[in-house]
Amino acid sequence: MAFTLYSLLQAALLCVNAIAVLHEERFLKNIGWGTDQGVDGFGEEPGIKSQLRNLIRSVRTVMRVPLIIVNSIAIVLLLLFG
Amino acid sequence: MADPHQLFDDTSSTQSRGYGAQRAPGGLGYPAASATPQAAFLADPVSNMAMAYGSSLAAQGKELVDKNIDRFIPVTKLKYYFAVDTMYVGRKLGLLFFPYLHQDWEVQYQQDTPVAPRFDVNAPDLYIPGFTLPLPCTLLSLPGLSGVAMAFITYVLVAGLALGTQDRFSPDLLGLQASSALAWLTLEVVAILLSLYLVTVNTDLTTIDLVAFLGYKYVGMIGGVLMGLLFGKIGYYLVLGWCCVAIFVFMVSRGSGLVRIRTLRLKILAEAAAEGVPVRGARNQLRMYLTMAVAAAQPLLMDGRAQPWAGGRELGTDRSRHCADQSQKAERKV
Repeated sequence: MAFTLYSLLQAALLCVNAIAVLHEERFLKNIGWGTDQGVDGFGEEPGIKSQLRNLIRSVRTVMRVPLIIVNSIAIVLLLLFG
Repeated sequence: MADPHQLFDDTSSTQSRGYGAQRAPGGLGYPAASATPQAAFLADPVSNMAMAYGSSLAAQGKELVDKNIDRFIPVTKLKYYFAVDTMYVGRKLGLLFFPYLHQDWEVQYQQDTPVAPRFDVNAPDLYIPGFTLPLPCTLLSLPGLSGVAMAFITYVLVAGLALGTQDRFSPDLLGLQASSALAWLTLEVVAILLSLYLVTVNTDLTTIDLVAFLGYKYVGMIGGVLMGLLFGKIGYYLVLGWCCVAIFVFMVSRGSGLVRIRTLRLKILAEAAAEGVPVRGARNQLRMYLTMAVAAAQPLLMDGRAQPWAGGRELGTDRSRHCADQSQKAERKV
């Protein structure tokens, strides 16, 4: 019932942090999800696995710097306002 | 003046534009045939000039805002979703509650762009999802009122009403309800967009289309909550069950109609190519699964979210007993 926009924002921030923290060499390669293990050529049907790989890779690349900023803001606000 | 690509009569801004044109030329064009104290005020040339300057500034500011707002919110695209009339609303509501007999679910096109909702009952709109959210019905009769999510608003109000009958109401709860419903909507939109991206479906579905789709279930929720208020638990479950099935059928027919549009056009264009339909069999199946999953999720979400409001009198009596117990305990302590 108390599912507010603020909790949605918190969840989103935590999820993006989780994606950014994934270490490719240690985890993804073991599961076979490393991005240099992709087998897709220029076919028209990428498949779900490669889509996920691309998504994770692009989120990590794009969100690194904004995440630093947003995380610092969140830390400061939480310290000040609890 | 009128965008050649516009397929509907944009009646919302002509009134304001005419008004602005009237005021911009300055104090001379101002209706000076007003009451005498105002005429005396207007006769002063300095205040005349000041008013002219102020109104021209306002006109310039309005132009600037109009130019720039299109960059952030696609206002002209949004207007497409509000080009409705009462007959369309009536037919759409009927379709939402009785989708079983409707045969033709394809959205009609006119030169590659969808026809406005006024002319085609299958077109998505944002008026009904907005309509069933909070504004009172009297406000809706005003033309050009682009209140987004009126369905949203009505739902929040009805939820407040239900809370009131259970003695749990307080004004800040309305705001909490509104933001909670908005958060659920956002979550659904994000989930569906993510799954669409993962399945690599090439659709014409824009984000606003998705919001319109998901907003339709508020209509069912309102019906359920109102029936629950009137007739208690049985009425609530009956109406909610009916609306769940209706929304499910609605989504499956509409969803598959929309998701397949690109493939139909690609088929026509690629007839010369060697690819036939059977090659895409697996992808089509995946798309069907996706539509079914989305449609199946709707009743669950509807029921889960409307449930707290439907307790009706039973919850109310529990609550009042609880309050009575607490007041007795307080009295004993004192």
